[in-house]
Amino acid sequence: MNRISIIEVKELTKVFNGSLTAVDNISFTVEEGEIFGFLGPNGAGKTTTLNMLATLLRPTSGTATINGHDIHKDPDSVRRSIGFVFQDPTLDTELTGRENLDFHGRLYGLTKKERKERIEEILKVVQLTDRVDAFVKTYSGGMKRRLEIARGLLHYPKVLFLDEPTLGLDPQTRRAIWDYILKLNQEQNVTIILTTHYTEEADHLCNRIQIIDFGKIVALDTTENLKATLKGDVVGLTFKEPSDAKKMLPRLNQLEWVQSALPVSGTNNQVGMSQMMQIMQRMRGMAGGGGMDGMMPSMAGSGGSLPSMPKDPEKMTAVMKAMGEHGEQLMNFRQIQLLVDNASQRLPELVKIVDGSGVELESVQMHKPTLDDVFLSVTGRRIRDESGSMIQMFRRFRTMRQARGGTTPH
Amino acid sequence: MQPISGQAIYVVLLRELKRFWRAKARIIASIAQSFFFLLILGFGIGGLFGGALGGNYLTYIAPGIIAMSLLFASVFSGVSVIFDRQFGFFKEMLVAPVSRTSIITGKILGGAVTASIQGILILVVSTVLGAFFIDLRFALGIFGAIGVMLLITAGFVGLGVAIGSALTDFHAFQLITTFVMWPLFMLSGVFFPIDTAPLALQIAMLLDPLFYGVELLRFCLTGYITPLLGLLGPLITLGVLSGFSLAMIVLGTYLFSRAEA
Ligand SMILES: Nc1ncnc2c1ncn2[C@@H]1O[C@H](COP(=O)(O)OP(=O)(O)OP(=O)(O)O)[C@@H](O)[C@H]1O
Ligand SMILES: [Mg+2]
Repeated sequence: MNRISIIEVKELTKVFNGSLTAVDNISFTVEEGEIFGFLGPNGAGKTTTLNMLATLLRPTSGTATINGHDIHKDPDSVRRSIGFVFQDPTLDTELTGRENLDFHGRLYGLTKKERKERIEEILKVVQLTDRVDAFVKTYSGGMKRRLEIARGLLHYPKVLFLDEPTLGLDPQTRRAIWDYILKLNQEQNVTIILTTHYTEEADHLCNRIQIIDFGKIVALDTTENLKATLKGDVVGLTFKEPSDAKKMLPRLNQLEWVQSALPVSGTNNQVGMSQMMQIMQRMRGMAGGGGMDGMMPSMAGSGGSLPSMPKDPEKMTAVMKAMGEHGEQLMNFRQIQLLVDNASQRLPELVKIVDGSGVELESVQMHKPTLDDVFLSVTGRRIRDESGSMIQMFRRFRTMRQARGGTTPH
Repeated sequence: MQPISGQAIYVVLLRELKRFWRAKARIIASIAQSFFFLLILGFGIGGLFGGALGGNYLTYIAPGIIAMSLLFASVFSGVSVIFDRQFGFFKEMLVAPVSRTSIITGKILGGAVTASIQGILILVVSTVLGAFFIDLRFALGIFGAIGVMLLITAGFVGLGVAIGSALTDFHAFQLITTFVMWPLFMLSGVFFPIDTAPLALQIAMLLDPLFYGVELLRFCLTGYITPLLGLLGPLITLGVLSGFSLAMIVLGTYLFSRAEA
């Protein structure tokens, strides 16, 4: 079967105020009927991308077609082809639900008869029929969200954009919205593009997921394939003391059956953006003096292979020293996440090694790789962790050097 | 560029009307405020006033009080595009296949109609208070006055939209009130006739677009126009006011269309 690409994005870039690259040269296609997810942390550029596709923002460069219409040449047809549910609520709360829907129908040129029929039909899908004539200001958060989704679908769009459809909703309501989204995708035959920073949401809903970080696509594949890039099991070791974790990290990395060992920064060592910049300044100075390159952890390829820490303990200490006190602070992790082949058999051996090193474990967890782990492996941090991990700092550092024309260690 | 869409204009207009009608407290507050102005100033200062219109101060200030309510209602209605685009419904309209010109046309129409309805209500109140001599001239003048109200309000909604599109920060609201609305109001000849003011003030008043609105409104309702403008007074004021309103509508539409979502 030959499927049509309903969305084709080519080298789309958005630079704000001449300096902030919110979306950085991204290209991808979406097939008709897909539920396609953008997964990324706050500020990754998800909303900016959707706004450009919806012709609300002018791209700095690059282009896209939706349903065959070019966003530059034919924005009107693009707008007719899409429905948009914004991240922030855009209902008029002083109007009733029906008035909100009716106004929307008029804007898209539906006749009175079409509006009447379609409103009834779509209300049944989102189960709001009995409240539609009440003022929206009397609705609950979940009802408002459902009304917005219904409105986005009223004019039979080919593509529905859902920007953070369940942000701020309780778990039950979130589940219900998920069900609606799946139902709409099947029954209304509409392609859905959604953004989220909930990995469970992306996992539950999406056929394919694009992980976006600092405006770049760092991974794009089916949900299954993404998870399959991490072969083996994830083992989380939490140590009593940060010094123990620090000591164990290079050791664990040297084990043959450990694919990767990553420090996971906890909540007690949040490093803010400004501190991060300071660190990078300092590192830049170091790098200028030469000798840093050999110490940089290798992070070749971001599509699926894992970044790893320097295996040589001495080098790692040197890297930490180079980062000064903040480096120390960052290294204050107590948890290490390992990707292990066949963990259930290796676990006893692992515990023995740790024991033999004279350090104390607080807890051990083990699970099959989730999208969360995939996210950690491709971006170097947890999706909701605002603080930077070491890997992320290296990444940023590298990006800065690239920007300055420096060479990149591989 | 999309053509003007009647449906889009209608949607925005209807939304403004519904919201206006449902916010009854606001309408009542605005009428009450004008009522107090008329009552206290009209009868309070009345005795000191020896100027135009045979010295009847209530008659003199009533058109100005109507204009005051028109000014405030219309500028605020225009400036509310800041809220609309940040918090709501406009964002949803901006992604619809309709032109921004249609959206803003509806906004200006809606703002002008709702502000003028407030003006008409205050006209009724002042008539009841005895501000106007009721005769055939007055009866005909009312129609002219309603037209003038729409002209004034359309211009000032346009100004509000222009301000609202240029500013992205709604904390500037207070500044708009202090530096735009109050000077416009105070210099419009509401409280004293221009011909009794010192020259510097006269020049400032002649630069105030609302001055022409007040003059024209007063002319329609009482037949009086300041002698300073000469025989062509009504035509001059109508010309200046129309020019201002047209310019503001164009400016507001331009700035609104230009801004990114
Ligand atoms: N209008 C704007 N002007 C300047 N910078 C902007 C603007 N809109 C977004 N940005 C910046 O662009 C970056 C990407 O923002 P965007 O809203 O696309 O992120 P997001 O992935 O949707 O994040 P979130 O999950 O918080 O919604 C951010 O750093 C943001 O501050
Ligand atoms: Mg967003």
